[in-house]
Amino acid sequence: MAEKKKVSRRKFLVRAGLGTIGVIAVGTYVFRNPLRRMTLEMAESMVPPYSGSGTEANLWFEITSENKVVLHSPKVEMGQGTFTSLAQMVADELDVTMAQVEVVGAATATGVVDALSTGGSLSVASLWMPLREMAATMREMLKSEAAKKMGVASSALTTSEGVLSSGDQQMTYAEAAADVTEWEVPDTPPLRPIDEYKFIGKPISRIDLAPKVFGDPIFGMDAEMPDMLHACVIRPEHVGATLRSADTSKAEGMPGVVAVVRMDGAVGIVAESYPQALAAKRKVSVEWDIPKKWTEEEIRSMLVVGQGNEMVTQKAGAALNPDEEGVVSIEFKSPIGAHAQIEPNGAVAHVEGDQITVMLSTQVIGVTQRQVAEAMGVPLENVNIIPTYLGGGFGRRLNTSHAIMAAQMADIVGRPVKYFFTRKEEFQNDTFRPPTHHIMRGKLNSDGLLEGLEHHYASGDVAIGSVIMPEAIHGVLGTDVGAMRGGNLQYDQVPNHRAVQWHTTLPFATSWWRSLGLLANTFAIESFVDEMAINAEKNPVAFRLAQISDEGNGARLKAVIEKAGESYKDEVVDGRAMGFAASIDTGVPAAHVAEVSIEDGEIKVHRVVCVLDCGIAVNPDQVKAQCEGSVIMGMSGAMHERMTIKDGQLFPTIYGPYSMTLMMHAPKEIEVVLIEGDDKPLPVGEPPMGPIGAAIGNAVRRLTGQRLTELPMQLA
Amino acid sequence: MKISFTINGQPQSVDVDDGNTPLLWVVRDTLNLKGTKFGCGKAACGACTLHVDGEAVRSCSYAVKFAEGKSVTTIEGLGTRENPHPVQQAWMEEVVPQCGYCQPGFIMATAALLDKNASPTDDDIDRNIINVCRCATYVRMRKAIHRAAELTQSSNNPANQ
Amino acid sequence: MRHQKSLYAIPILFLATILFATNFNTSDLSEASTTDSSTMTIVSDDENFDKMMAVLMHKRCVNCHPSDNVPKQGEDSHPHYFGMSRGEGNLGYEATNCNTCHQHENDDFSGVPGAPEWSLAPQSMAWEGLTRVEIAQSMLDPARNGGRSHHEVLEHLTEHELVLWAWTPGIDAAGNPREAPPVPVGEYVEAVTAWFEAGAVIPAE
Repeated sequence: MAEKKKVSRRKFLVRAGLGTIGVIAVGTYVFRNPLRRMTLEMAESMVPPYSGSGTEANLWFEITSENKVVLHSPKVEMGQGTFTSLAQMVADELDVTMAQVEVVGAATATGVVDALSTGGSLSVASLWMPLREMAATMREMLKSEAAKKMGVASSALTTSEGVLSSGDQQMTYAEAAADVTEWEVPDTPPLRPIDEYKFIGKPISRIDLAPKVFGDPIFGMDAEMPDMLHACVIRPEHVGATLRSADTSKAEGMPGVVAVVRMDGAVGIVAESYPQALAAKRKVSVEWDIPKKWTEEEIRSMLVVGQGNEMVTQKAGAALNPDEEGVVSIEFKSPIGAHAQIEPNGAVAHVEGDQITVMLSTQVIGVTQRQVAEAMGVPLENVNIIPTYLGGGFGRRLNTSHAIMAAQMADIVGRPVKYFFTRKEEFQNDTFRPPTHHIMRGKLNSDGLLEGLEHHYASGDVAIGSVIMPEAIHGVLGTDVGAMRGGNLQYDQVPNHRAVQWHTTLPFATSWWRSLGLLANTFAIESFVDEMAINAEKNPVAFRLAQISDEGNGARLKAVIEKAGESYKDEVVDGRAMGFAASIDTGVPAAHVAEVSIEDGEIKVHRVVCVLDCGIAVNPDQVKAQCEGSVIMGMSGAMHERMTIKDGQLFPTIYGPYSMTLMMHAPKEIEVVLIEGDDKPLPVGEPPMGPIGAAIGNAVRRLTGQRLTELPMQLA
Repeated sequence: MKISFTINGQPQSVDVDDGNTPLLWVVRDTLNLKGTKFGCGKAACGACTLHVDGEAVRSCSYAVKFAEGKSVTTIEGLGTRENPHPVQQAWMEEVVPQCGYCQPGFIMATAALLDKNASPTDDDIDRNIINVCRCATYVRMRKAIHRAAELTQSSNNPANQ
Repeated sequence: MRHQKSLYAIPILFLATILFATNFNTSDLSEASTTDSSTMTIVSDDENFDKMMAVLMHKRCVNCHPSDNVPKQGEDSHPHYFGMSRGEGNLGYEATNCNTCHQHENDDFSGVPGAPEWSLAPQSMAWEGLTRVEIAQSMLDPARNGGRSHHEVLEHLTEHELVLWAWTPGIDAAGNPREAPPVPVGEYVEAVTAWFEAGAVIPAE
């Protein structure tokens, strides 16, 4: 992590150029007391503070000669709409129009990047305060410069649409910023009241629509460098296999082949064009040492409640005795899941002496930089990571080891090299969502309410082993905090309740998959609670509400459940039934109603109502888009997706056999209702994924009497 | 071998050492039109969909030699910011894209569908639009396809011109 | 399983030489078949029928003669992924059809198979699930075979490029060779021709 330096009040970074003519680049210093802020934010909410190196005078804003403000975003845009929301925040505090704001991903050489990641649905939430403060500070700095140039008092100036005015005198921001070499930095000005904002809270259209609709080359896969070569890499297909030998002689003579190289147990083929590299790859014969061919049964048997490291993550009252009369137990399972993002992982790298440039889609710019620097043996500051738009993230781009391979090959051939995964490599080298096993237990009291409720769950690594989670955290917590997401029980009025995690590391990489443990944990808990409501002959909405207190986020969860409950009917009408489920994740409650029928023996989801309380919705339309995407991706995970391991290899390796929700399966209507139950933005992209699996399963239970206990859900 | 075809209205000749080279890579790397995406290389995801003589084709499984003498249209040739194709217009009105990577393929597939079927039903959409979108923008895409059909019909109606 | 597949590579290579060296010229192909047959011994009609039906019952044929409008794929004859179906003209749907992905030749980059006229056999020619006698009866029945005479059926079976594709089925998406029918193409063509010449008698079973 970058060293923190004291920055004097007047010493300010001014950069010019950066490849754009007429650009005036300005850095701002806002974090007066970052430690205090961090402590406060940790105390106040579940949202970890922004963790960038923003206490240094670095580049956040540029003002162009066309009087546009360019924000160098420390977070990347992977579809979640962050660039648009950040632009809204900038526009409102800096008094410019949306059209006057551009957002680019900051590169490590020229801007501030988040030292951890873009993930956890935290981009907007974590930048809510600092970005607005920085924009407001920037506005005051511009006023101060304009005041000098115009010969008026700074307080006499007003700002609107990128123009500073005093009486009939006017000056654009670009004019005010021109030739400034030393900026005066004021104390952080007060932020405006939320109801005065013109853009925050409004359904502004995405600022990246046109590039995405007209096919602009904005993604990592589209990145190029002059004189660039293309590479393929042969990687092991079996879990744990290592390279024994490779005969590359036939490949070396193939058209366009520049080099065939050995690195880190893999073989790289570098050629003038990608098809040439691919054709040559087929001519390499490789022998592998395969220490063991894992089977699905072996993997499943490693993940069983009662095995691995045990950690009680929640405990109140006494444990249930599974043999006692009235105690109901149901087992649930979920499979290995693939990220299956459409843009393959890849990188373009160039090594010039001890300077390295890498362009890629990454969620962990700072980590990528550190890993490339370490692997290539150069100082951190010699590595410039230029992030592109991501063709999907979903947690897959927390691991960017391919950036190292691209740099190694570029170093060997002395020209820039572009390397990306084939789809098969993408599926077999994923950092998978781990399979899970759950045992739910519960007991009703004489009033038909839960007297005891327990969630015992086994999972592979999610956060453990991840590049963005320091090892020490697990030592302290003793549990996998990623697998734990959604694992604790929200029914705190149940006198005896507990959640127990059993953790095992699998022989292949498992990690972050959008919403982490939430999808499988909520499926188990909310399917079981629904079953207990049926046993109690109670309405499932009322049954849930009766067992949640107003403590903590309980009142907000109840408000969401009540709102979704207005759309719920506990009856089968014309072959259609509704299913209800709710969850709370990172302080964001969500409740879903799924309307389902059985058509030609298949589960058909017609309509979903999704109620979410994510606090302030900076861009309600994009919050809704995230809910829609989350619901369908969760549905895909719950109804279709499954990786298996067979003879030591992970299958399938292509879309189709890796079944996913497509247009034909997606509900035609998703109604999203937002409740703003907090005075700040909270995470959005993952929490609405929680309830969908159980909501569908609970509807199927009412249609068929079948309690579906395994993902992907299949009718008996 | 030399292959000649029209791309986005312009005549073009390319030299390839293998006529079986997928058209996708010629379009992306030789002609530097990056809007047509590589997703799977197996004709499964549809990210590489473009038009050959007006028909939707998955260019990762289309040998460039088959393009000889034909007319190829990519997302870059479908419409422009100044004059968007109705599908692109509808996509913006409905704010469809999230990550955006699969979207050119969906837009090209939809443009081909509307060319054959001016007002597709939901079932027509389900059958013809079978690309993969991991962000799962399907609800908005469906709305945008219906909206594009409306836009196409109103622009084809002489009363509106 | 893998070992078996590699055995089929030999007839595949053999036929590939014949078909591709001659640029799919069917008259050359029949000539090649004739040359082939001159070395063969005379066999009985039943044996000819056995050979013919061993091919026609194979998944390379039946996958595209479905009984439920859904093309089948692969060695396990699973339903075509992504909901592809017959459509109105046996070619899929109006904008997403066979030729969206399948071209005139196999594509080794993608593993997508291809041949001229890639399409499903019409509904009347549904073979999936039928016995070999039922398939033979269907094949000879003008009401179900598209009004073809015996001679025209013979031509379809022995000269149609889409039918002969079965012996050059290419590699799949994972790069593994597809399985060819269990009788070499020359032997098959000879057997079918002989069976028709002998009156196309379907043995009682």
